Amino acid sequence: MAPAATDTNWSVNYDVLKREKLFRNPPKDHTAFPALAAAIRPHVDSFNALFDGPKTLEAALKDIGTKTFIDGADETPEQKKARQAEGRRAPKRNKLHVRVKEVFLDKPVLPAANKFTTRNRNIYPSECRERHASYRGKLRARLEWKVNNGDWMESVRELGQVPIMLRSNRCHLENATPNELVDHKEESEELGGYFIVNGNEKLIRMLVVGKRNFPMSIIRGSFVRRGHTYTKYGVLIRSVRPDQTSQTNFLHYLTDGNLTFRFSWRKSEYLVPVMMILKALVETNDREIFEGIVGGSSSEGIKNTFVTDRVELLLRVYKSFNTHSRSSCRAFLGEKFKPVLGVAADMSNEDAGTEFLRKVVLPHLGNHNVTETQDYDKFKMILFMIRKLYSLVAGDCAPDNPDAVSNQEILLGGFLYGMILKERLEEWVRSFQPLLRDWTNRNQGAKFTDSVFERDFLAKVVKRSNENIGGALEYFLSTGNLVSPTGLDLQQPSGYTVMAEKINFYRFISHFRMVHRGSFFAQLKTTTVRKLLPESWGFFCPVHTPDGAPCGLLNHLAHKCLIATSDVDTTHVPKALIQLGVRSESSASMTESVTVQLDGRIIGYCSPKQASAIANTLRRWKVMGSDKIPRELEIGYIPNSTGGQYPGIYMFSQAARMYRPVKHLGLDKLDFVGPFEQPFMEIACLPQDLIPGVSTHIEFSPTNILSIVANMTPFSDQNQSPRNMYQCQMSKQTMGTPGTAIDFRTDNKLYRLQTGQTPIVRPPLYNAYGLDNFPNGTNAVVAIISYTGYDMDDAMIINKSSHERGFGHGTIYKTKVHSLDEKDSRRGKSRREVSKLFGFAPGGEIRAEWRATLDEDGFPHIGARMKEGSLVAAWHTVRYDAASDSYVNVDGITHFVKYKDQEDGYIDSMRIMGAESGVEPCQAISVKYRVPRKPIIGDKFSSRHGQKGVCSQLWPAVDMPFSESGIQPDLIINPHAFPSRMTIAQMIESMAGKAGALHGHPQDSTPFQFSEQNTAADYFGHQLRKAGYNYFGNEPLYSGITGKEFAADIFIGVVHYQRLRHMVNDKFQVRTTGPVNQLTGQPIKGRAKGGGIRVGEMERDSLIAHGAAHLLQDRLMNCSDSTRAWICRDCGSFLSTQVAVSGAGSSKARSSSAAAKAIAACSSSATGESTSQQSSGANAALGGLAGIVRCRRCAREAVFEDSRAEIWEDGDGQRFVGGDNVTIVAVPGVLKFLDVELAAMGIRMKFWVDN
Amino acid sequence: MSREAYQVPNMGTQNAFGADSMGAGSLDGPVVAYLCGECNSRVSLKRGDQIRCKECGHRVLYKERTKRMVQFEAR
Repeated sequence: MAPAATDTNWSVNYDVLKREKLFRNPPKDHTAFPALAAAIRPHVDSFNALFDGPKTLEAALKDIGTKTFIDGADETPEQKKARQAEGRRAPKRNKLHVRVKEVFLDKPVLPAANKFTTRNRNIYPSECRERHASYRGKLRARLEWKVNNGDWMESVRELGQVPIMLRSNRCHLENATPNELVDHKEESEELGGYFIVNGNEKLIRMLVVGKRNFPMSIIRGSFVRRGHTYTKYGVLIRSVRPDQTSQTNFLHYLTDGNLTFRFSWRKSEYLVPVMMILKALVETNDREIFEGIVGGSSSEGIKNTFVTDRVELLLRVYKSFNTHSRSSCRAFLGEKFKPVLGVAADMSNEDAGTEFLRKVVLPHLGNHNVTETQDYDKFKMILFMIRKLYSLVAGDCAPDNPDAVSNQEILLGGFLYGMILKERLEEWVRSFQPLLRDWTNRNQGAKFTDSVFERDFLAKVVKRSNENIGGALEYFLSTGNLVSPTGLDLQQPSGYTVMAEKINFYRFISHFRMVHRGSFFAQLKTTTVRKLLPESWGFFCPVHTPDGAPCGLLNHLAHKCLIATSDVDTTHVPKALIQLGVRSESSASMTESVTVQLDGRIIGYCSPKQASAIANTLRRWKVMGSDKIPRELEIGYIPNSTGGQYPGIYMFSQAARMYRPVKHLGLDKLDFVGPFEQPFMEIACLPQDLIPGVSTHIEFSPTNILSIVANMTPFSDQNQSPRNMYQCQMSKQTMGTPGTAIDFRTDNKLYRLQTGQTPIVRPPLYNAYGLDNFPNGTNAVVAIISYTGYDMDDAMIINKSSHERGFGHGTIYKTKVHSLDEKDSRRGKSRREVSKLFGFAPGGEIRAEWRATLDEDGFPHIGARMKEGSLVAAWHTVRYDAASDSYVNVDGITHFVKYKDQEDGYIDSMRIMGAESGVEPCQAISVKYRVPRKPIIGDKFSSRHGQKGVCSQLWPAVDMPFSESGIQPDLIINPHAFPSRMTIAQMIESMAGKAGALHGHPQDSTPFQFSEQNTAADYFGHQLRKAGYNYFGNEPLYSGITGKEFAADIFIGVVHYQRLRHMVNDKFQVRTTGPVNQLTGQPIKGRAKGGGIRVGEMERDSLIAHGAAHLLQDRLMNCSDSTRAWICRDCGSFLSTQVAVSGAGSSKARSSSAAAKAIAACSSSATGESTSQQSSGANAALGGLAGIVRCRRCAREAVFEDSRAEIWEDGDGQRFVGGDNVTIVAVPGVLKFLDVELAAMGIRMKFWVDN
Repeated sequence: MSREAYQVPNMGTQNAFGADSMGAGSLDGPVVAYLCGECNSRVSLKRGDQIRCKECGHRVLYKERTKRMVQFEAR
């Protein structure tokens, strides 16, 4: 009998044994935490969709289609004229058709060059992490080509190595069970959804984009600036092709009532009269267009003169173009857009126009092999957009809000990845054009039909193209920069990827639930985009957004929010709609007919009354699962209103939609609602919110609106709301447990809490998401009391005994790659290129002191303690000797890699990394250092309620207060932390934790379970009383110092505390002397470089105000750029003093004694030994005690009569007399620069020197 | 500066990784064993050797736990 399936039901219980068993024997069937796996599904599923299921990439290849290239040179107009005059026919030019038929992406395996591994050639993710390599598979494409009407020929091209998403269908671990995952050095709950690029875990962030295939009416002031007669009104539709790429179409309203169709193609914008598009789409006439917008002659719409006037104008203005038929319109468009579309040069204008309509105009309604009906759908959709735009201008309907979730969807990582892949493929094929031309020129105008071409096409054309598509994708993932000629209809060029940091598990999982609004909006001055709108209810977490710059732009999905990654089957929906009475006749009057659309396709129209009935019936069917209406279908019924949103039924079934589960009341069944329909539905939150006859749905739980992390804040409904936001931030900065596979991880920096505990107070979701696998904090006995004064101002006192028992103890793991070649360690080298090897130089001496940390292989031994400057590895230079097939070292000198950090660490592990080819000697090692970090004064801690504090003292246990039962607090915080912050939930947690600890059971801390009538304090108070404690959570406490009972009872309980990753050891900055700037001699800035903290102008002002002159002197002179400089006492100039080359004996003696005196005076003013030591060196440079310095300005040229004793000489041999009243002063080094600079501007500085 | 690491007496001759490797490898340096990251077998490498497991061809090798006495002053 097979073992029982792994239990996936979790409660609030500790389940110690169950978890222990899961740890010892990871399940062999499926994960025990399906909720956790579901949280990242959108990422993996969107990647899977590229090759499986919807096969997005196949659709992309269809959209790229066949590219046609023509040989021979284009003839100039003159040539053409001459040819036509002679009556010759155009020379026949050959066509080369090229298409990408198929794309294959292999799983990551060793390259064929590696002949050493035979058994298992798979490369697993853990190896890529450990080797700091990328997890990638080979991308291949089947390239097909034919010349003229010949047979298709094919070749499979290799397009480089493409990074692969973990646990996707191209990953070896796709369906791995927890047991298999552990075997492959992963977490048992490894989720995947990210890429490994150069050993870093990168993921593509989800991005908010406009809702697809829905015409949105927009009022935007910037439209006016588009040009003459433009107004702020417009309608836009983001039309999405089956391959998930999008094309946005705009309709602009002009002041005269006319309309312009706008789109952007390859980053350029184009404008087309909308009538031309309409006439090009279908064979139509003015009457059909008129009635299509206004309505039939008997309809209400005909009375709407606002619309009829404008439509009439639309039709009249278009007359001037004089192109009426479908073919002539297409030919006109084709002629204009042929150059930018990239179609073959000899394609007819009409065909080019058809291609234009296929690619640009509403491609969601027909993108490949567009049929007549699809063109008619496009025609109807544009008519609808015109109608909606006119109604917006007339004020009959309100503009749609592009910042509301109801008009948004999510761009998933996998889809974006596919979009880039598609674009690269298309660019690759396009790039054949110049190469083919080049080939023709080189071969003296050879034709495609020549036999040479058959041979040369692959060897000389395709091979010369840039086939490294994998490299482009790896670049995208590692930098997040989008290099794209089309822009992909996106608004930002960078910031698409983020590193999936595993600081702790909350942070890691949050990355996958994170939705960014786009960096374009981050620069926006208005804050409207950041506002929390009621539409977001249930989709975006209202709590979990950072404060500061990205506030409101970086949201997190509510934990029950799902994202569709494939289209649901809606083939039966149109039929059902027709049965329900949807018809094709329409009218501009909204009271007469409203639209019924499915995924941006107009199914038909019905009366408003019918619409309500249809929406209700459909919803019933979809919840029941009858009539083949899928449950995931979004039925957005917008009722008629006065000046509200444009009415109609808009149904959405496609990918990238958000949806979430709620309960349908009538059928008592699960229903999914989307953001578009939600504002018009009646969903009760709690049973008491139900309105009989109105409410149709109810939430499964009010906590469904919170994100995973926000759900973990206990009793968050009792806190002041900003505190919950702070907690969401801080839980992501907690030093926790990043995972259980820490040994196999090589993150640059990894934080680990040694003494993690499961919180006593937690919601059941804590277990459902398996967060006990990644403990994040410690339960601490917390007394809220002002004791010793060391808990002032958010400081906290830690009991020294708790500290010694391991409270908050942590470790930092730092991994450093020590590589021998500086340039590019990733690239493989041939054997002879190796110029350095690890190890002691053979034949050279090996000193005993070197061997303190190093083994004989030149690598450190495991556990070696590293101080600053300790040796990490030894290496020497080598030359490849072909004769003996070995490396020879000539010089016998051993060099060392040194440990550079200030803080002591230990070697935790050491990896020697080989290359994929398996033939290279060791060129890089990866060393993991372990830095123990016990809590010290200045480290940051926080409760789970946004109450952070800094450890101010480790207080001896004997002096800590104690209770009657002998309990001492682990932690003391100040009562002043509460009144203004109102974190009531922390006090409830304190009581609940205390009661839970006393009774030995976990406490459910789900928010919204208590009310004013049934308070949490009462519930836990009773539990405390049962345990023999005070109902209010207070206790008499005795002073640890005097032993006397405090006058007041002290509130003491058990609170889960987190240690934050901000620690003084990473932050302290102190210096007296140290590195200085090369030019100015002033201290450099930056903690990492040993620089100082600037004493700026304001600091200077306050020191002056305090009269702290000596402190100022010390800061700004002695510890900065104090230098000694020669100055002339007579003319007061620095610049005119110079060193005399030689002089006579008597004056030399005199001046040197003067100089010595001046130097002595300077030195005494300067402080410290080092300066006086420096002074002798500085003097030597300045002319020194021995040399002489004279002022050239005060000197005069020597004449014959002057005594030789007074004459001095400059470097050029010119002789002078005088200028000997010079001295040395201590000045800031930059003063001389200022003097020079001013002199250059013709300003002289003069200094008076006293003494 | 006092070093806290315990000094192995007679370091020159004593060998942490197999006693005789020093003599054999004269010019090519000592032969040191590492652990394969995949199959956990011991892989002996000397200076300039290609980095891969002799058994399974894996490309990441760990350094073995030291047999030196590692002792720190506990404070």
